[in-house]
Amino acid sequence: MNIYFKKIAVPIFNKAQKSNLGRKSINIAFLTRKFIWRFNNTSTAGIYLVKNMHKIFNTNPKLNYGSQIKELLDKVNINIADDDFIFFLDEFKNLSYNNTKIENISIDYSKALNNSLHDFKEFYSQKKANKNIDFIQDQLDMLEGTELFILKIIDAIKSSNRQDKDKYISFFENIINKKATHFEEALQRILFFNQVLWQTGHLLNGLGRLDKILNDLYYEDINNNFLTKEEAFNLIKNFIKSLHSYYWYKSNALMGDTGQVIILGGKETDGTYFSNDLTYLFIEAIKELQLPDPKALLRVSKDTSRDLIELSLKTMNTGCGSPLLSNDDIVINKMIEFGYDTEDAYNYVVSACWEPSAVGKGIEQNNLNFFTFLKPLNNIFDNESEEFINSINDFDKLFETYKTYLKNEANNLIGILDGLEFNTDPILSMFIENCNANQLDISNGGAKYNHYGITTVSLANTVNSLYNIKQFVFEDKRFSLAEFNKMRKNNFIDCDDLLEQLKNNPKHFGCDDEEIISLTNEIIDSLENCFKDYRNKFGGQIKFGLSAPSYISAGEEISASFDGRKNREPFSTHISADLNKDYTELMRFASKIDYDGCKFNGNVVDLMVSPNFIKNNFEKFADYIQLSIKLGFYQMQMNVIDSKTLIEAKAHPELHTNLIVRVWGFSSYFNDLPLSYKDLLIERAIKNERNLAF
Amino acid sequence: MTVRVTNIQHFSLHDGPGIRTTVFLKGCNLNCPWCCNPENISFEIEKYVENGLKKEFGYDISLNELEKEILKDEIYYDNGKGGVTFSGGEPLLQIENIIPLLKHLKNKGINICFETSLSINSNLVSMAIDYIDELFIDIKILENEEALNVLNLNLDLYLKNLEIINHSNIKKENITFRIPLNNEYTLNENNINQIINLLKKYPYKVQIFKTHNLAENKYRLINKKQVEIKELSDNEINEVYDKIKEITGNVEVISI
Repeated sequence: MNIYFKKIAVPIFNKAQKSNLGRKSINIAFLTRKFIWRFNNTSTAGIYLVKNMHKIFNTNPKLNYGSQIKELLDKVNINIADDDFIFFLDEFKNLSYNNTKIENISIDYSKALNNSLHDFKEFYSQKKANKNIDFIQDQLDMLEGTELFILKIIDAIKSSNRQDKDKYISFFENIINKKATHFEEALQRILFFNQVLWQTGHLLNGLGRLDKILNDLYYEDINNNFLTKEEAFNLIKNFIKSLHSYYWYKSNALMGDTGQVIILGGKETDGTYFSNDLTYLFIEAIKELQLPDPKALLRVSKDTSRDLIELSLKTMNTGCGSPLLSNDDIVINKMIEFGYDTEDAYNYVVSACWEPSAVGKGIEQNNLNFFTFLKPLNNIFDNESEEFINSINDFDKLFETYKTYLKNEANNLIGILDGLEFNTDPILSMFIENCNANQLDISNGGAKYNHYGITTVSLANTVNSLYNIKQFVFEDKRFSLAEFNKMRKNNFIDCDDLLEQLKNNPKHFGCDDEEIISLTNEIIDSLENCFKDYRNKFGGQIKFGLSAPSYISAGEEISASFDGRKNREPFSTHISADLNKDYTELMRFASKIDYDGCKFNGNVVDLMVSPNFIKNNFEKFADYIQLSIKLGFYQMQMNVIDSKTLIEAKAHPELHTNLIVRVWGFSSYFNDLPLSYKDLLIERAIKNERNLAF
Repeated sequence: MTVRVTNIQHFSLHDGPGIRTTVFLKGCNLNCPWCCNPENISFEIEKYVENGLKKEFGYDISLNELEKEILKDEIYYDNGKGGVTFSGGEPLLQIENIIPLLKHLKNKGINICFETSLSINSNLVSMAIDYIDELFIDIKILENEEALNVLNLNLDLYLKNLEIINHSNIKKENITFRIPLNNEYTLNENNINQIINLLKKYPYKVQIFKTHNLAENKYRLINKKQVEIKELSDNEINEVYDKIKEITGNVEVISI
């Protein structure tokens, strides 16, 4: 978002949220953007919106949330597909919100499969001492609304053209009063609750560990000859297509940013590696369908089988961006060290992109805000006097000053987090552990875990800036710190040679070099120190990771930096090093970063690889992945693309309508991306090809 | 003890089995017109300027430091599946200096490979053979006078060294001939026939490739002019492939 636009838009948005009219206006604004995505044409989108304006409905904010959900679901336009799974959204019907929405999490769908609505109803209706009447009332109202919604769907199925009416009627009846008993039914039930989450305004809804959750029902059906593997594969493909539907509606910050991540595989508490037929079938389906969304994350360990690694690599090599690999041998231990129960850590999923969390057990708001490592450094040099800058006469003093400024920024962020109030959420409270037992809504701290997660950007730019200052000013004494700053403030105009040297310093973030690694670890340890004693109002801690979506937009707010980045240019992406000359060095670097303490909230190595390179060296590249797991990367994702294709696609989008690229933690059609993202991908691909010319 | 290198390339996938680190040793006694590593020809350190920065091709590295650098990727060598490749230049010219390093690497079970033109003193070859697991041997020009004039290659010495290799303990399946092909120097009927005869005598694996002009920038940096060589067409290289295929099944076209 343009920085100037943002400065105006954010206060207006905050004020508008406080009134009915304002909320409606916000809905219209968001719907306009979504319709532009949908129709890929501004005037068609505008005409569609005007024609349907009368359909826009917001629930009565004076009602309790359970009743608002009931009111909303009653208004939703039912739309039954003629075949396959039933999944529909009514983009015009909205739940009213007063506070920050809880989103970006995966519920534990096994709770939905193993319990009926009546099971929950029975639980809430039990006589208890110290009953929290408000909480119970919300839950019961929400359940009643959901049940009525199902009954309406059943009526609609009855009058539909479907050939399999009886089967699907029973699937929906069972949601009310039975647990799921078959594979297909389970998929439909997951889709139903997923639909309800989207319809009630939740964004970035993860799917959880589907191979694990569906394991028993799948094998029961297979063993009882109720289902063949081939039928299961077709069902999975249809399931994925249903999830992909309303892609434009589900997208958040950018087209494709839906947060629909399917978690597959994983290490068990006994150290063995879990995978089953479904692990393979889901990846095969994603490979075959070539849709940017939903995406897969494969939890891997040193015991992940070679054929699963090869299948994943083949899938990544299609360019679809999936699966992202998350290394259980590292992630799980870090979660346990942070404070998650062992069983929960072993059962982790991730939020919309990569942030590990305990599935169905916490508020787990993992991307509440972001921290810009470069900001405190640039604050020193943008705001302090020349006299002050000249008084910084060695690197240690500079680093100490940076740490002080970093602490101030961290405290500002803590202030923002402390001001957060979450919206009451009966649906999530039903599924999230301890809310029911505590009779406390998730928004009030009812869940088992109440940690706040943030992401960070510009670590690479900060490391490179600090190292350049150390080398050029304090070691080589080429100019004074104030002189260097003057060139930076002047956006390095007429300093072309210097700029090249700053950008291409052989010692840079991503190098397997002791000095760079220790500088990197010192910076992130400094941020950890700012957060480690913090507890939010629910007793939760702050966790952060080194990957963030905002590397372009956050860069727009920061002046030129000593790493050779010019005013407002994008930051580096995740843990990437497009300057590196080989792929092993970045992995060695990533495995030496200290992810201890609270620093485990998503740490993705981001590789750019050309498709032919993998194709021509497939076996060795599969070795590379397996051995890198052993070496100990935290997470990794690949953009398999060459610059030539990207440049062509930018010039002739009509010839590349299906070209998919990995953006931050999601995949998107290249054509759907803003120009700034297209240009950054092209620039990275060119750099990568230049440095890794084999 | 130091050794003179120009580059240490990790994650090398084309210089032997598995994932490897290729060490480019500086200095060569040949002068192939198509050379794609011109910065490795002179043993002397060569200064140049790029983007306003003074730089040098070549530096001396202690054996300890070199060993450390090689072992950085030990995990990727996967218990001997991958390893280290010494290339150049002519790496065997510095063999005396690196023997202690080779002993260490051997003890650690690191797979060792050399890429050589074999136009060197036979003592150097004999010194190396005990440490070599994998070997790439160039076949360039097999006509006495032309080899000497164009490449500075002593063909008698080359053939003698080949014989030493053939009688050594290096496993035959681990030896590969590499043949650079261009119309200007190597791809003529007489030379191809000589190559075929040599391959009949030494039936090792064969890799053939087109020479290219991609090193133009490096030539410019060291003030040398690259000889213009036209890249072969796919048809031309496929014809050679077919001829070699008739005598050995183990031939492939690679791109370098």
